[in-house]
Parts: sequence; C-alpha cells; structure tokens
Amino acid sequence: MSTATVGIVLVSHSAELAEGAANLAAQVSGGTVTIIAAGGTDDGDLGTSAAKVERGLSLADSGAGVVVLPDLGSAVLTVRAVLEDHSNSNNVLLADAPFVEGAVAATVTAAAGGDVKAVAAAAEEARHARKL
Amino acid sequence: MPASFEQDITLAGDLHARPAGALAVAAGRFASAVSVTAGSNTADAKSVLGVMSLGATTGQHVTVTAAGPDAQEAVAALIAILSEATKVGG
Repeated sequence: MSTATVGIVLVSHSAELAEGAANLAAQVSGGTVTIIAAGGTDDGDLGTSAAKVERGLSLADSGAGVVVLPDLGSAVLTVRAVLEDHSNSNNVLLADAPFVEGAVAATVTAAAGGDVKAVAAAAEEARHARKL
Repeated sequence: MPASFEQDITLAGDLHARPAGALAVAAGRFASAVSVTAGSNTADAKSVLGVMSLGATTGQHVTVTAAGPDAQEAVAALIAILSEATKVGG
C-alpha cells in the first residue's frame, strides 16, 4: 500500500518483554508495520522510561498516527506523562489491552491499513479473545 | 443485495500464528465481511486472534465465506493464502 500505516509502541517494564512482543507481532503481521519496543528504564533495569516512550512515539509515527500498548498499569502513568508534553498527541491512542494479544491484533490491523481508532479497537477487543 | 461467496480448502499444514496473521492482514483489506469456519467454529477472518483460536490443523476442511461488494475477490485471495501459508507452517 502507498499510504502510511499506523505505528505501534510497546511500553513494558522489561526491555526483553517489549522486544519479544515486538518481534512476535512483526512476524505475525508480515513485517510491514513499524513497531517500537520501549521497555525498561534508561539504566536497563525493570521499569519504564519517559525518554524511551517519547523516542518510541517519534520513531513509530510515519504520518498515520500511533497506538501505544502498556504492559502493566503503572506503565500508563509514564505514557500519560509523556503524552501531556508530546507535540502530536492527538494522533496517539493509548490502548487498554492485554499486552501480547493486543500487540499482535493491533499490528495485524495496522498492516491491513486500519486507522488509529481501528488499530486501538483491535487491541482492546483482544481482551475478549479466547485461546481455548 | 451484496453478493456472498464461499469456498472450501483442505489445509496442507496447521493454521499457526504466521499464516493466521497473513490471512487476517489480507482479509482486513477487503470491504466485505469475511469469515473462516473450521469444524464447528467460525471466526472473523479479520481477527488474527479469532483465526488462531480456531485451532485448525493439517488435513482439516476450512471454509472461507465472504459477503459484500468484493466478496468474490476476498474469498479467492484468502483461499490462495491458506493454500500457500499452511505449506510452511510456523
């Protein structure tokens, strides 16, 4: 497709968890969507980093907007603090979704050309998807 | 009335994460409503998690159904993906 796709930022307390979820989502969706892993603190410890989230938002946005998925509730505080200062935060949606399933569903919908609302909705619908 | 089409395929491999993803990405590009049925379970083909939850395996008959303005193209595209993608698994 010629139009830009929605970018995804995965905010986790663990750098490895964010990277792993990003890799999985990229594999499942065919690798056409920009997925940025923003995990761990600036020192590489468990926790979240406003600087990493801010950088992720910039890297993920190719013009179609960004959907952010936090792994645990306290990551939301970091994301919200960043969004208050972010220059283009009206094109960013924070999705309330299970981390792995939400990342995969959001990325697949982005790859299919969905807009930010559709991508965030796909992530949030993942809450209802049964595995068994 | 929008046209409705369906076609069956016998899977050459299990419907794992990557083929499910390829299927959902392709389905999402069509305006038609598209579903995949395996045995007694039916999923929205545009929902990758739904497609994965079908648990469709090698040798199983799967039906792709579409209703809408591009239903025929959607069924053809998804059958082609199922035919190719389940050969490699993953």
